[in-house]
Amino acid sequence: MIEARGIGKFFSVVNDKGLAEGLTAVLNVSLAIPDGRIVSLVGPSGCGKSTFLEILAGLQAPSDGEIRIDGKLVLEPLPSTRKEMEDYKRRYRFISPLANGVFRDRPKHDIAMIFQDYAVFPWMTARQNIVFALKLRSAGKRRSERPSRAEMAEKARFHLARVGLAGADNKYPSQLSGGMRQRLALARALAVEPKIILMDEPFAAVDALAREKLQDDLLRLWGETLESPRPVIIVMVTHDVPEAVYLSDEVIVFSPCPGTIRNRIPVDIPRPRARTGPASVELQERIYAMLEYDINQESEYSI
Amino acid sequence: MNDGFETRGIRRFLWEIGGFLKNALGNFFSPGFLCLFVPLLLLWEFLPRLDVIPESLLPRLSTVAAAFVDMLLRKQLPLHILYSLGRFFAAFGIAVALAVPLGLLMGWNLKIRAILLPLWQLLSPIPPPAWVPMTIIVFGIGTNMHIFLMFIGIFYPVLFNTYQGIKDTDPRFLASARVFGASELTLLRKVYFWHAFGSIIMSLKTGVSMGLVMLVIGEAYGGRMGIGYLLGQAKDYFLIPDMMVCMAVTGFIGWFLIEVLKYVEIKLAVWKVGR
Repeated sequence: MIEARGIGKFFSVVNDKGLAEGLTAVLNVSLAIPDGRIVSLVGPSGCGKSTFLEILAGLQAPSDGEIRIDGKLVLEPLPSTRKEMEDYKRRYRFISPLANGVFRDRPKHDIAMIFQDYAVFPWMTARQNIVFALKLRSAGKRRSERPSRAEMAEKARFHLARVGLAGADNKYPSQLSGGMRQRLALARALAVEPKIILMDEPFAAVDALAREKLQDDLLRLWGETLESPRPVIIVMVTHDVPEAVYLSDEVIVFSPCPGTIRNRIPVDIPRPRARTGPASVELQERIYAMLEYDINQESEYSI
Repeated sequence: MNDGFETRGIRRFLWEIGGFLKNALGNFFSPGFLCLFVPLLLLWEFLPRLDVIPESLLPRLSTVAAAFVDMLLRKQLPLHILYSLGRFFAAFGIAVALAVPLGLLMGWNLKIRAILLPLWQLLSPIPPPAWVPMTIIVFGIGTNMHIFLMFIGIFYPVLFNTYQGIKDTDPRFLASARVFGASELTLLRKVYFWHAFGSIIMSLKTGVSMGLVMLVIGEAYGGRMGIGYLLGQAKDYFLIPDMMVCMAVTGFIGWFLIEVLKYVEIKLAVWKVGR
């Protein structure tokens, strides 16, 4: 269960005249996502979706509001009194509050994240990429509970085979195609058995055919976790409206400047869905109409 | 990785040597380069021989070769080379051991950067040869002075290139490791370092050439041993063939060290080779 309460994010930017100016990237976004759901965030570019996703992951501190995952705060709240402010500054004098620790690996939450292009490390082979994540995830456990090297390698092989990359263990990402690289990212995310997978335009850089295959694989792998005791939440940022409708249980439409929720559209079409079925198409058109309103600032659509 | 090859022992070692030689010498045996190089060597031999250029200015190739053999056998050239190399590696080791970690820290943390970077920005524009007089006064003439001068030459390029490479690490790589719970130390070891690996090797190459510059300068100013000392002596006695031998030897050392670094890069940065 992810709960976001009144999330806001303000930046100071430099405007055309060279003066500092406040920019509200995200304004008052509240969301609750129950376990085992796929939720898409759609909206025009630059509307704060990715910022919101990074706040969810604890990679950016929200200026306002708080995120709880299963009741646990993702980042400690920002200071509100002068005393707290001084403490905060002293504690984070040398290290940012976003860091996990200087010397010890410490997985705080069961999150995995997939980025569009920079998802996997190009200097590690497919297996090393997965083992790297597994090692980090087991760092918090007691020594006796940690998996051995061989177990981790075996697990990496299993997850690679699961996404259709059997035999690519020792390949470097530069030797894989774009679609295979995203598969590898998916395998790495699933290998750590997270509760939440956050995806920032995961399939944007992949050609259309590979994208459809990847989407189906994602649904299949997500479906497998539904029967397990740990159903996975997937939160996905995308520009692709048909993709959002095809995959998600709920589509959240963001409006730009400041980024805030324009509308939440539940998708009640039973799976497996037809990509161009009448119900899907109707929903897609509704979402397009909303997006057009935001881009052109005029439309017949009204809430 | 090396399925088809020996993975240990002497055969593996020989195989690596072969790979290194192939990489290092491959360029020299391409037909295109030979078409340029062989005529140049012939010109070097025959222009002085036919008196187009006076031989007192440009000794023949064969004279230089003879001088080389003479220096090897009678003027203790190998000993001088060993002395120079020993000092060079001492300086290189110290400089790299200091500059790479400092560069890592400066690229990693804003606070450390704010404290340290201005210092280097003040000191680094001083050209390394300008340090010579002060160094001689402080360290006297001897090994310490040579090592310090080479250190000055190597330190700044390595520091700045490492720092740049670390600083330019893509934040999305860091983010995806942080989400899995990576500590800052793990990030430095597994993400920052490898992202900056190319620029670190690049910086070592610059360091090698700057170090050799300072080697020749330092040894020409004083000392009893070393390539630079031989060069200075050859100048004093106006032995042009000996000068040329010294030039060629320093050039060869630089070329060889840079080739070694290139090979290390190929071996460690396997992920880049496919591109």
